[in-house]
Amino acid sequence: MSQASTAHAPQAQGSEFNPFESMARNFNAAADKLGLDEGLREVLRRPDREVTVAIPVVMDNGKLEVFTGYRVQHNFSRGPCKGGIRYAPDVNLDEVRALSAWMTWKCAVVDVPFGGGKGGVICDPRKLSQGELERITRRYTSGILDILGPDRDVPAPDVNTNEQTMAWLMDTYSMHVRRTTTAVVTGKPIALGGSRGRREATGRGVMFVCREALKKLGMRPENTCVVVQGSGNVGGIGAELMHREGYKIVSISDMYGAIHNEKGLDIPAVMAHLKKNGKLAGFPGAKELTSAAALELPCEVLVPAATENQITSQNAERIQAKLIIEGANGPTTDAADKILEKKGVIVVPDILANAGGVTVSYFEWVQDRMGYFWTEEHVNTSLEQIMVKAFADVDAVANKYKCSMRIAAYILAIDRVSSVYKLRGVFA
Amino acid sequence: METIQSAPTFEYDDLAPSSHSIEDENPFATMMASFDEAADRLGLDPDLYALLRKPDREIHVSLPTQLDDGTLAIFEGYRVQHNGGLGPYFGPLRLQPGLKIDELRALAGWMTWKCALLNIPFGGSAGGIRMSARRHTKGEVERAVRRYVSSLLGDIGPERDIFSSDLATNEQVMAWVMDTASMHARHTENAVVCGKPLMLGGTHGNVDAVAQGMRLIFAQALEFAGLPKKGARVIIQGTGRRGGNLAQLLVRDGHTIVGMSDVNGAIYNEKGLDVAAAVRARIEHGDLRKSSGSFEILPNEEMIERPCDVFIPCAVANVVHLRNARNIQCKLIVEGSHAAVSGRSDRILAERGIRVVPDILATGGGAVVNYFEWVQNRAGQSWLASEVQSNLERFMLDAWKEVSTLAKDQNLRLRHAAHMVAVKRVASADRLRGLYA
Repeated sequence: MSQASTAHAPQAQGSEFNPFESMARNFNAAADKLGLDEGLREVLRRPDREVTVAIPVVMDNGKLEVFTGYRVQHNFSRGPCKGGIRYAPDVNLDEVRALSAWMTWKCAVVDVPFGGGKGGVICDPRKLSQGELERITRRYTSGILDILGPDRDVPAPDVNTNEQTMAWLMDTYSMHVRRTTTAVVTGKPIALGGSRGRREATGRGVMFVCREALKKLGMRPENTCVVVQGSGNVGGIGAELMHREGYKIVSISDMYGAIHNEKGLDIPAVMAHLKKNGKLAGFPGAKELTSAAALELPCEVLVPAATENQITSQNAERIQAKLIIEGANGPTTDAADKILEKKGVIVVPDILANAGGVTVSYFEWVQDRMGYFWTEEHVNTSLEQIMVKAFADVDAVANKYKCSMRIAAYILAIDRVSSVYKLRGVFA
Repeated sequence: METIQSAPTFEYDDLAPSSHSIEDENPFATMMASFDEAADRLGLDPDLYALLRKPDREIHVSLPTQLDDGTLAIFEGYRVQHNGGLGPYFGPLRLQPGLKIDELRALAGWMTWKCALLNIPFGGSAGGIRMSARRHTKGEVERAVRRYVSSLLGDIGPERDIFSSDLATNEQVMAWVMDTASMHARHTENAVVCGKPLMLGGTHGNVDAVAQGMRLIFAQALEFAGLPKKGARVIIQGTGRRGGNLAQLLVRDGHTIVGMSDVNGAIYNEKGLDVAAAVRARIEHGDLRKSSGSFEILPNEEMIERPCDVFIPCAVANVVHLRNARNIQCKLIVEGSHAAVSGRSDRILAERGIRVVPDILATGGGAVVNYFEWVQNRAGQSWLASEVQSNLERFMLDAWKEVSTLAKDQNLRLRHAAHMVAVKRVASADRLRGLYA
């Protein structure tokens, strides 16, 4: 899931490093270019609905504890809301609101028929037993049951929630509505209506948009050096797929640091090494360096696929890549964006580049509603179609408005949501 | 090729062999024996074991029905829902005078394993009405079926429990089921039942689905048993939609049918039978023995012991039992009916090196195509016959691959491997969903 790769965002106020503030600034810039009227702006700034629930849970020691859970539905004019549920001690309503808006734009960019939603429970999963987690999940689900459903709101995994959490949610919902309803949530295990190819979806989407961007620049994978930051579901899988396409991956990093070989790394061997040793360091024939330093290595393509705020006003000047594909959410600050734009670096923004995850979530929902499951091949070719089209759509907007791809992606998304809103009219 | 169209309208007893085996094993016991063995090999935890051993729900309804002479008959109806972990329940609806709840429990369990094995997102169920479709008029059967459906309304539906056709429930009966459910739902609800006529949302490929599926599995099983790809000498018991259609498909694939049978008796010729003539005789005269061509006429149970490469029982349960398991001369058995090989004789066959492809795998084509019907109904769409066929191929071959790989890797009988794949899938779904309190 793309959402799952979102590390927890800092709450610093008014700084360069608050990704939600930069999202708001991007929204305003795009709305200005579109000439969106003030009323619609206000509609799109505010979530359609927010629910806060108290979650009383009998803990394993017999004591009762009450947790707090949220579900925010930012905008459901394009279809049911879609977005993850996260469990973390520092979940707060403001963050959930911002993330739900982010999902609205992301779904609109790839044109899947969903609005944006997000949820969370304030808790520390490291201190909870499986039984306690299950009881929290089931009680949270019953608390928000009235606003959930395949046609209302379809959650997904996020920080600290996984396939098992989604299975509990699906079971609780199913027992209440008295029929198995797999389409109420995505990110389920394959055995319970999950989709093939979901784990690789974000990485695969990154690979597709990179290919499209290269075409635009008249470059070929064989002559392209790539630096990847991150080696999980996005970075690791993205690197493997790009390696298979013929790119030369010169550097990849994990949370401890990066490895570098200017002649290109043997990515399958690197991933095997990572799996065996739990870290990249020590891979034979590669130099080791910090992952911050790796960003500044000479290369044609940079894929930041770890956390936010990696490319900032402090290092943007030294970035040597011609093309940045944002695998993570918010890896580039808007101050860095301006510097990169001046240097002529193309940035394929997060809401386009890492939307492969939500796209395959959409496929999971489609398959669940049909009750018919696709082969992995079918999932992958459908994903390719959607990513290629989304890239072309954003590129066309960027050419029309003479703006960066990031602003273009926001323009496209806002235009899609607001035109649906206008068509439907205001229900009174 | 002459596709045998008619749904089985005969009743269970009509198909019984001319003499009963001494050792009639209870079908529920046979089903549970396979399950127990699989659970044991998988090391299933005791709580899950207990959960999977019992049906989720059993419903028993009385069906007051006005007979044509004005009197009232009270029929009994049942629906057993075995396990809903993977999705809506799905299973046969039958009209049978001697219907027993034990048999329905076994069938429901079987459907759970079969759907899981074939990767169909359904759980298993089974139900029926204790009545003879032959001894009652069409109107009486219709009223009983409609009353049955309305009594079960709270528990059936495209997302709750879906019927498939079975003994004495042909396309017409399924159309009544669909109409009754639709009138109550206030909209056409065709996905509640499978085996409907094509014009009411049925699917292509429904008529010979089981035979087509068996043909695919048969080809794989030949290779697995080390037999040549062509020219297998085959005995088939049963000349209905399964046996009759399969015999013709196998001839087309280059095999020789040396023995065939129906309820009246069997015909055998070691050089090969004229299958087309035999099928025609069955359709026109209701009797295989009236076929043209040269063959000897035998009682059913004698044919079973004649030499051949592959024996395919497509009629009743317990065809191979303790008394004849040592006399059977084939190298491979493909089960075309539920529990054709009794639980205990299965072991004897294994000792003798005879491979048995189990019912839940071999006959899966019926469930798969029924599932396709449901998918098409929900999508409001109709697939081409070729689409049905190629998708059926995918489902059957995927299941075969999984089962045969497991059997080879762990040196297991195919029956055990099939049940292990199925039980594991259901158990992991149940474990993931957890207990709802």
